[in-house]
Amino acid sequence: MRSSFSKLFTTGVLALGLGSGLARAADDTVKVGILHDLSGTMAISETSLRDILLFTFDEINAKGGVMGKKIVPVIEDPGSDWPTFAEKAKVLLEQEKVAVTFGCWTSVSRKSCLPVYEKDNGLLFYPVQYEGEEESQNVCYTAEAVNQQAIPAVDYFIAQGKKKFYLLGTDYVYPQTTNLVLLEYLRSKGVPLANIGGGFKKDETGKIISAGKYTPFGHKDYQQIVAEIKDFSASGDACVISTLNGDTNPPFFKEYAAAGLTADTCPVVSYSIAEDEFRSLPAKDLVGQVGCWTYFMSIDTDANKTFLANFQTWLSATKADGVVKEGRVVDSPMVLSYDGVYLWKACVEKAGTFDVDAVRKVWKAGVSFDGPGGKVTTQPNMHLTKTVYIGESKADGQFKILKSFPDVYGEPHLKGTFKAAN
Amino acid sequence: MSWNSIFRPLLRALVVGIGLLASGRAWAASESPRATIVRAILTTDDTQKRDLIGSLVGQGDEAIREIFTAWREDDLFVYTAPDGTKIPVELTGTKNSAGAQTAVRVDNGESLQDATGHALPLAAAKLTAVGHDARLRLAMKNVVDLLDLGSPLLAKRLRAIQTIGAAQKADKIPVLEARGRVETEPKAKDALRAAIAVIELADPSDDVKLKGLAELRELHPASCYDLIKVARDKAETAAQPAVAKAATAALAAIDQHKAVVNFYGTLFRGLSAGSILLVVALGLAITFGLMGVINMAHGEMITVGAYATYITQHIFGEGMNFTIPFVRLAIHLPGMHLTGWGYQMFFVAAIPAGFLSAALVGVALERSVIRFLYRRPLDSLLATWGVSLILQQLFKLTFGSNNVDVATPVYLSSNWTIYDVTFDWNRVFVIGFAILIVLGVWLALTKTPLGLLIRCVMQNRTMAACMGVRTERVNMLTFGLGSGLAGLAGVFVSQLGTVGPSMGQEYIVDSFMTVVVGGVGSIFGTVVSALGIGLSDQSLQQILLNPVLGKILVLLAIILFLQWRPTGLFAAKSRSLD
Repeated sequence: MRSSFSKLFTTGVLALGLGSGLARAADDTVKVGILHDLSGTMAISETSLRDILLFTFDEINAKGGVMGKKIVPVIEDPGSDWPTFAEKAKVLLEQEKVAVTFGCWTSVSRKSCLPVYEKDNGLLFYPVQYEGEEESQNVCYTAEAVNQQAIPAVDYFIAQGKKKFYLLGTDYVYPQTTNLVLLEYLRSKGVPLANIGGGFKKDETGKIISAGKYTPFGHKDYQQIVAEIKDFSASGDACVISTLNGDTNPPFFKEYAAAGLTADTCPVVSYSIAEDEFRSLPAKDLVGQVGCWTYFMSIDTDANKTFLANFQTWLSATKADGVVKEGRVVDSPMVLSYDGVYLWKACVEKAGTFDVDAVRKVWKAGVSFDGPGGKVTTQPNMHLTKTVYIGESKADGQFKILKSFPDVYGEPHLKGTFKAAN
Repeated sequence: MSWNSIFRPLLRALVVGIGLLASGRAWAASESPRATIVRAILTTDDTQKRDLIGSLVGQGDEAIREIFTAWREDDLFVYTAPDGTKIPVELTGTKNSAGAQTAVRVDNGESLQDATGHALPLAAAKLTAVGHDARLRLAMKNVVDLLDLGSPLLAKRLRAIQTIGAAQKADKIPVLEARGRVETEPKAKDALRAAIAVIELADPSDDVKLKGLAELRELHPASCYDLIKVARDKAETAAQPAVAKAATAALAAIDQHKAVVNFYGTLFRGLSAGSILLVVALGLAITFGLMGVINMAHGEMITVGAYATYITQHIFGEGMNFTIPFVRLAIHLPGMHLTGWGYQMFFVAAIPAGFLSAALVGVALERSVIRFLYRRPLDSLLATWGVSLILQQLFKLTFGSNNVDVATPVYLSSNWTIYDVTFDWNRVFVIGFAILIVLGVWLALTKTPLGLLIRCVMQNRTMAACMGVRTERVNMLTFGLGSGLAGLAGVFVSQLGTVGPSMGQEYIVDSFMTVVVGGVGSIFGTVVSALGIGLSDQSLQQILLNPVLGKILVLLAIILFLQWRPTGLFAAKSRSLD
């Protein structure tokens, strides 16, 4: 009796194991993780990335998938809670055993799940402009590095004859680090400290540890700061470099416009405002303000037009849950997510396997993809070479492209590389 | 039909005649810039060319900029008509199959026509471009740089004056002086004087420098601060104590002026911050202060008001469609397709709309949840918190999780600048409106029969019921009034910040803080505490130059204050919280 029971049990387990094994073999699919906030404060930005990823997967699946395997998305929502990113990453890697993950927006979320990817040797594609000073072997940074966004914009202003720079940002790691790099860069261009606005914080030795004015997430009252900028820009040759986070931009720009400051008197370059953020901003108050990204929706190429048309067709046809169908736009983080999926596909197909080490090796050797924003090429330092565009915002929420810098090499380690000129 | 056909040509002839007369007169008074440019193009003498162009300095005609740009970019050509007259033209637009482009006459800005009156496109390849050299280009640049000096727009003039001053080129002084003689606007006059003075700072002679500095000290223009500083540093290194001293005095004058401006600016900003707190907290002063309901959904009433503004804006424009989830009620709001001022009035319409919609939601909330909880204030906290979460999700499902854009009407999007202190219209409006609604609420509570009923029910519900007051109805109306006021606040904050599903959360803490500090149950206390918190927050920000530290200090002060006086500034005698 007992033996027969254990035999039955063993057979059952065997059958189960065999069954699932068979199922996996028969199933021509590959699991891919999406780790974006679909609830909480960051949902505003990250829901769009989930949408574009689902679109890209469908597009690839319709053409036969990756190495003949259809992509099956596994979506995890960390709910804008940073520690949850690590837990969800663990679920994706250890339970779902995904081949690759596309995810994260804020730097703090990336830093939170990074140890998990490094421990389990997973692969994370990160698509949002960030502060650099990081080069993990388990992250493919499709994002803009500081020299692919912040520095070209500053160069543009210097070329426009601007002499004074006011640094303003939301108080977290990306603005703080970016502004320190920019401080070094401006000093190397011969801009004296007195012409850099927003204030400095120094440690006991007198070394500057923080440059610029910072406000917390969700700050509403910009009266005092705008008054300070008005005073700072009285000489007529000043500009504002803003790393304000999405939510704080409407109160800032409404105050800015009401105080009579315009793009003519004192232009603002905002590193966090792209077409998607524009949907909730008073576009007419922002006319002429500057943006700098590696993609603008207004890029006038056939590749971009086809991409946009395909995305709109997908939007109207999709039955995926919670996808907003009306008034959708595309911006740089979305396109970099799209490029990322295709780059991963190219790497996998070149390597002939989904194995992370093999895929990484191909990435480092260099793979190119002609995306909607132009050609992107992978680099040995896990970043991307791509075209940088500077645009001026228009009343319809789009950007007019003013200048482009082709093939800018993504350089994550910039701190300490610029020497002050005076 | 016949009337029309007879009179129209007559009318047209008349109009053309008057136009000719007018232009003839202008010609007689002084040659038009276009005519001067034509002469400059056609003359072969280089010196005369430069002199003619130089004579345009100080002109404000925008056509000059366009023609000079075309000249520099080799788009200007001379066309020789069949009768031998030379006509300078600018070729623009795309080339047709024969390589020809539209030719625009430089002398009148109209397109070139042949003898039959048809447009005559020309090919650049068959003509020679009007030449230019470095000295000519410099002469043109001088004209273009100074073009804005004659602009009819004051802001443009001011900017041009400032730019010319900041370049510190002594050869520009005569131009500025010439402009000063015709300028009538006092602001521009001062700016011209300051620009001349700043140019004088770059003069090698100490006397000229001192003269400039004395002028700057008198005018104290903030725009010249940096340049005076540079002059002072130079004077210090070059050991010119008199100049350095004068520069320091000029800087001190500007600093003093700035201090005055900052003082009044901060006062105004404090008042406006206080008014926002007041508008936001006033509704809560009624629902929490008077009724004793700890209404955690107060923030969502603000959101209702803000979304009502958003919807009103769309009704005035193109209309909108949305679906209320769960009940799957598709709502189609047709637009009124208004433009211009009609559309701008959406904000005025949004004020009652915001009040009414929030009041309705408030009444529904009171009927469905709160009326069961008047005796259990702590339960009302939990229940309304739940309601707040449900409402937030409802907004998210209806309007999307993204923030929405509420336009700023033109009458709220500019400012007055008095003595360099900026008064934003939207802020002035909030202050004025706060005064109005406080007055309105005070009148409603003290001078109307309903106000009397509200006060007596809030003091003692059971006793009022015994006296025959329909307490249920009064409760409902009072809660509706409080919620409606929150809706009004929503209409206003839509002009200052983000409008999104969870915007209410940003205001709920501030609202409770204001009401508690003012003293629960006292409307007057709420007014005093709102203005006090607003003013101290803004002045601390100004002093500490840090937006966060100021707020922390204010919160700390409030905690200490409440330790000392737990009932707030003005304790009302109320039994509702006993």
